[in-house]
Amino acid sequence: MSNIDQKDVEHIAGLARIKVNTKEKENLAKNLSDILNYVDKLKEVDTEGVEPIAHITGLEDVLRKDEIVGVFSEIEPESLVEQAPSSDKDNYVKVKSVFEDKK
Amino acid sequence: MDIKKLTIKSARETLDKKEITGKELHGEFLKLIKKENSKLNAFLSIHEDYKKVVDTGDILEDIPAAIKDNMLIAGSKCTAASKILENYIAPYDATVVSKLKKSGAVFMGKTNLDEFAMGSTTENSAFGPTLNPHDHKRVAGGSSGGSAAAVAAGLAVYALGSDTGGSIRNPASFSGVVGLKPTYGVVSRHGLIAMASSLDQIGPITKNVEDAAIVLNKIAGHDPLDSTSSPRAVPDYTASLGKSIEGLRVAVPKEFFGEGLDPDINNTVQKAISRLESLGAHVDQVSLPMTDYALAVYYIIVPSEISANMARYDGIRYGRSAHNKSKSLLDVYLDSRAEGLGEEVRRRIMLGTYVLSAGYYDAYYLKAQKVRALIKRDFDKIFEKFDVIVGPTVPTVAPKLGELDDPLAAYLADIYTVQINLAGVPAISVPCGEVDMDGSKMPVGMQIIGKHFDEEKVLQVAHAYEQNK
Repeated sequence: MSNIDQKDVEHIAGLARIKVNTKEKENLAKNLSDILNYVDKLKEVDTEGVEPIAHITGLEDVLRKDEIVGVFSEIEPESLVEQAPSSDKDNYVKVKSVFEDKK
Repeated sequence: MDIKKLTIKSARETLDKKEITGKELHGEFLKLIKKENSKLNAFLSIHEDYKKVVDTGDILEDIPAAIKDNMLIAGSKCTAASKILENYIAPYDATVVSKLKKSGAVFMGKTNLDEFAMGSTTENSAFGPTLNPHDHKRVAGGSSGGSAAAVAAGLAVYALGSDTGGSIRNPASFSGVVGLKPTYGVVSRHGLIAMASSLDQIGPITKNVEDAAIVLNKIAGHDPLDSTSSPRAVPDYTASLGKSIEGLRVAVPKEFFGEGLDPDINNTVQKAISRLESLGAHVDQVSLPMTDYALAVYYIIVPSEISANMARYDGIRYGRSAHNKSKSLLDVYLDSRAEGLGEEVRRRIMLGTYVLSAGYYDAYYLKAQKVRALIKRDFDKIFEKFDVIVGPTVPTVAPKLGELDDPLAAYLADIYTVQINLAGVPAISVPCGEVDMDGSKMPVGMQIIGKHFDEEKVLQVAHAYEQNK
């Protein structure tokens, strides 16, 4: 039995940067427990010596040169930076301060 | 001319005979969409201007198409049916879009979906569900419900959808149209908004099998911008159409006809399988023993990959942002995601974050990828002896709006489709009959599955059935 309680939900929500209110915590604890109990049936399957899937048709180590190609050669950087909620004239995206004063 | 009934071939003939110009055809479809979309909600945005990039003489030139709203068209809105991308303007074309543009295709608009393609009814769309053209009390299916409903209602000649666990085939079955999910890697996903990257694949939703082959011919092929796309040469997918299926070996997995399958769907699909037999195919029962575990594997792998792919929606670079009202950087993340992401999206991010968190990786994700290898092995074994596998696409007809409100119950609708994505093989859903439901005739789909890169065989069998049903 996998049981997710509201404390677990809070912890996961913190990791995932998801805000949850009390009602959502209750619902998520139940939903996630239900789903985890359902997927627990995989424990019945013997996977001793089985290689996990990496790429389903078997492609390996696909590389290309680090060059601007295809559609990207037609894009003006400004048009991408403009999509940010805050930017300056030098094409930098502005964010809130990353380091905060200790209170 | 009834434009609702136009296929790619018949629209091509009409245009070639100059009975109508491309611009006029666009105008006729626009009128129809404006009249009917307010009810159906198949389109999230309508492209009012007739835009054709080049005169090509191509079979798709001037044929009105609809694109699922998780594929980018440069300069147009692309919302993925999420509030977080409500005002997002795509800066470039998805590879499938630029390929269609080079064929001279004309886009009528962007179609509705479950938010970020997470769902099987379009009820998870932030902009309301798409209704089933056969019965407005029922859903069109999902996640490519808008594309399927648009084609079923004749609001576009063909559409593109994307399929991670059934999102092309499920709405095709529910809405009575053809939906093809190609082999993983046949079609580039560059410019498709990612959901679960080891499973996502783009494919056509059309009125008949031939149209599906025609569209696949245009969108398939290697793309350096999608490292998972296959370097194989693209065959002519229409070449196998019309060939006899006499002597072909058809496998019917007993697990596809077990508990949970609606008896009416069972009858309808069994009749379709008998039809294949009368056309000369050898039909045998087989077993896909891992069927019972496929959904569990799927609902570990999918949320895991989602939790990684959705991390980009942080309110910093694009999309809806709480930047102007939040105090700290952390609040920007939390508030932007709270305002922008819907319930199912947040649930899947949470589930994925949990199963990938410290101490759980081996028990969940790694275990799931190992069972996935066993699922693929099941398919490989069957395809040593058989050409195709057939069965129902979904266990029921289209549910009523609100019927699947429990998340786990909703996941069970995907029982016959998710394995196909896990194994990476191609599969099509073709209409195979109707079932009377409260006075409405609801469509039923038959799923035909092939081995890796054998779309030709899948299309051949689907076409033979469609022409002789």
